[in-house]
Amino acid sequence: MNSKKPVTARVRLLAQVDEAARVVAPLWPLSTCIAVNPLWDLRQMPFHEAVAYAGRVLGIAGYPPPALFAQAYVERRITAADLRAVLDEGHAQEGPAHKSIERCDSRGPELQRGSTAAERHDRLFGTRIAEAVDWEVAKWCAAYLAGIVPDEPAKGFYAAWRQIVVYDPAARSIVGRAGRKLLAELGADAEEAILTCLDLLDVPETNRVPELARHLARMPGWAGHAKWRSRWAAPEHPGPALHLLDYLAVRLSYEAAFLKSAERGRRLPKGHPLRGGSEARGCSTEEEGRAGGGTRRAGVATVGLPDDVATRLSCLDGAESARVWLAAYENHYRDWLLDALDRQQATREVQPAAQAVFCIDARSERLRRHLEAVGPYETFGFAGFFALPIRYRGFGSADAVDLCPVLIRPSTEIAERPPGESHSAADRQLAGRQVVAGARSAFDAARKGAMSQFLLAEAGGFVAGPIALAKTLAPSRYQAARRFVHRVLAPPAATVIDADPAPGALSDEEQTLFAEAALTTMGLTRSFAPVVLLCGHGSTTENNPYASSLDCGACGGNRGGPSARAAAAILNRRAVRRRLAERSIVVPDGTLFVAGEHDTATDTVTVLDTHLVPRSHRDVVAALQRALERAGAAAAAERRSCLPGGEANGRKGLPRERTADWAQVRPEWGLARNAAFIVAPRGLTAGVDLAGRCFLHSYDPRVDPDGVALETILTAPMVVAHWINAQYYFSTVDPAILSAGDKTAHNIVAGVGVVQGAGGDLRVGLPLQSLFDGERAYHEPMRLLVVVQAPLVLLEAVIARNPVLRELFDGQWVNLTAREDPSDDWKIRRRDGTWVRWIPAASHSKEAAVRG
Amino acid sequence: MDETWGLTQMTKVEVVANGDDVAAVTGLFTEVGARGFTAVSNVSGLGHSGQHQGRLLFNDRSSLTYLTVVLPPERAGVLLDGLRELLSDRSGVMLVSDTWVSRPEYFR
Repeated sequence: MNSKKPVTARVRLLAQVDEAARVVAPLWPLSTCIAVNPLWDLRQMPFHEAVAYAGRVLGIAGYPPPALFAQAYVERRITAADLRAVLDEGHAQEGPAHKSIERCDSRGPELQRGSTAAERHDRLFGTRIAEAVDWEVAKWCAAYLAGIVPDEPAKGFYAAWRQIVVYDPAARSIVGRAGRKLLAELGADAEEAILTCLDLLDVPETNRVPELARHLARMPGWAGHAKWRSRWAAPEHPGPALHLLDYLAVRLSYEAAFLKSAERGRRLPKGHPLRGGSEARGCSTEEEGRAGGGTRRAGVATVGLPDDVATRLSCLDGAESARVWLAAYENHYRDWLLDALDRQQATREVQPAAQAVFCIDARSERLRRHLEAVGPYETFGFAGFFALPIRYRGFGSADAVDLCPVLIRPSTEIAERPPGESHSAADRQLAGRQVVAGARSAFDAARKGAMSQFLLAEAGGFVAGPIALAKTLAPSRYQAARRFVHRVLAPPAATVIDADPAPGALSDEEQTLFAEAALTTMGLTRSFAPVVLLCGHGSTTENNPYASSLDCGACGGNRGGPSARAAAAILNRRAVRRRLAERSIVVPDGTLFVAGEHDTATDTVTVLDTHLVPRSHRDVVAALQRALERAGAAAAAERRSCLPGGEANGRKGLPRERTADWAQVRPEWGLARNAAFIVAPRGLTAGVDLAGRCFLHSYDPRVDPDGVALETILTAPMVVAHWINAQYYFSTVDPAILSAGDKTAHNIVAGVGVVQGAGGDLRVGLPLQSLFDGERAYHEPMRLLVVVQAPLVLLEAVIARNPVLRELFDGQWVNLTAREDPSDDWKIRRRDGTWVRWIPAASHSKEAAVRG
Repeated sequence: MDETWGLTQMTKVEVVANGDDVAAVTGLFTEVGARGFTAVSNVSGLGHSGQHQGRLLFNDRSSLTYLTVVLPPERAGVLLDGLRELLSDRSGVMLVSDTWVSRPEYFR
């Protein structure tokens, strides 16, 4: 049993595990929730084939349910004209199957689907071994990450589990004597254990990738966490490390032991935990229905569909029909958007009193629109880390956080410190924070202790009860009181971001490069206003495990204020401005960059580091603050009307009340209904009510002759926007597997994720309350529409030299529309790289009628 | 190769892989006992799957990385087996050649 496997087998295994893991997406911990396309590692396949493949392996539905389309048709969100336009064009959009798919399909249906040995056994004998394996593995993963399992860090999860599982009564009762013996005999090394178990389970070499993929697919949450740890987390990331190999070793060990036990008992006795129902479970009807990516669902039952459309749709199979409906759904929105942009009146150019740069996040759109409406302010959109990938250490904080998209690593660490030489105010604040943190830590320790929690309930109940009552009945007043107490204990103290070059920090030249990249990419290289606000964003919510999912994705799921402060500090440095001038970006001496943070739950903007604003600029900054207050109030009022209970619940429906309410499951809608990513000068979208549905990235092709800025926008911010969009899409179309489920039943596990109820898999995706209003989907599941105003030659050149863009555009993971300039017609890019003039579906139908 | 040079023959394996796959490739290097390797990130070029841009400003995962490792010939075969498996369904290039080193103990 412990004979050492040849290194060849081990090396092949590593490659097989990596290949198998493509079927699951990495799952970031709750502290830095990152939206990710759950099928990202299948992007080499076109969208429709990837969802079909994922349907077979993960059992997911890849398209919105027919009921959603039917409802959309009734509400004229999809029209017969939309369907006709798609059907007319339909086959022109089809291209040859992707090469990797051909290879995939050549493996045969059994290999494509894959199954674990336990699943095969369950199908044959009607047992429920696979479910039991899931439950046990999930239990031990949670225990390991919670620090309950004694762990030797260098040895990992499998070694820790192996030491202790033989004492687990549950394992003893399920795997029996034979299984226990096998568990005890398995090697201490995870790779050895996997290879041994694969042999014991008779999995031939050729079947290993689909077998391992199916193991990972059974619990995409825990597998996703392991994938994040193995492939995305920094090696020095603190806490127990659960790696893919360890995870698979534990799963396979259980399967081998369970099956050994089942084999010994042949037919399991009645009442045995592994004994299933009277019928073999096999692949359930629902799973079969999902096998084609949800395409075998019943067709869309609509009333009033014209005969010609109904007839043509009836000739299509489930997959084709779903594709037509989805395209019609998407194109209807595209037609509306392009029409709205075309109807937009040219704005009169005035000298702005200030300029404000907001994150591209769709939630900035309302605030920007209202700010432009209340005064002579010009706004820009740029990724909220302001081109500065930093590791940030707050004053007095032991931990540093990475403030950059997860696609890159921080290039330096930047710290917050007290200004000047006198630290007394900051020291007072730090001492107060330590008192608060110490009290909180003691309270948490008492809350979690085996005995102390009972003592705490007895001793602290008199205080905790009234606090809970206040939090429930008057949340905003309670929050104000808490802030007051905190201010008394830890009085606010001014700090600065240390941007001065020092050993190990960014040099003047490096800072200039980042500054140049930011200004050029957003098209702000001249006509600077006296004040330029760099505005990050975050969201303040109570009792919300998914709070970080509402923070800034470009800042790695953190609040964006520190990034804005660091960028402002750099852009105000004389040495940087001197070097920028050498690169033809002349920032006048009279221009001041100031930092701010937009709280998206309340639409309030806080201007940061006001102590650094010189007297000469205070009036402008004060006026800007007043304008931001008015704009924020207008944006919040607009948002309130969209929130469930926003209008009806009086004061409690106000965004500022919701944000303080610890029972509020929907403090804001976040990025629900996100639909498009627009890369263009603000002139294209200014004044258009985009209802907070568009990511807006400023771009001026005049300052980007070689397309470097456009390339940066499409390969980073657009990819992040696609991840967000795809997460919303899949969480909405398959909430059972790809959403985080109902918030009210969440249990947090070791800070890495949530489970629904008492245990099981970590939930992936977004909570239902972020997607649905009751039974009805609030989010409209559509693939991201990318709208670009730039020379098409430049755009094609950028696509041609970046495989990731070819995969996304050619594979129809995102839809691309572009035009050269405002005088040009919009064009639609097809998957073969050709462009066709945009014709709205309504006009399309008229033209078709004329053509006969 | 002139034997008087006092060099020892080794096998050099060069891999051009997607940024996403670098951890998997270096994991294989480690598994076969490589004592070190060299990685150059953000390389550009033209290959079977088209053109590849070099440095992307804010995306390290979608650009190519060039990796090279030197091994005793008997261990190179094992690595090639794993690399072949890893690259079978994804873009990437593997080049293998003989090379000579002056301090073989560094590579064993």
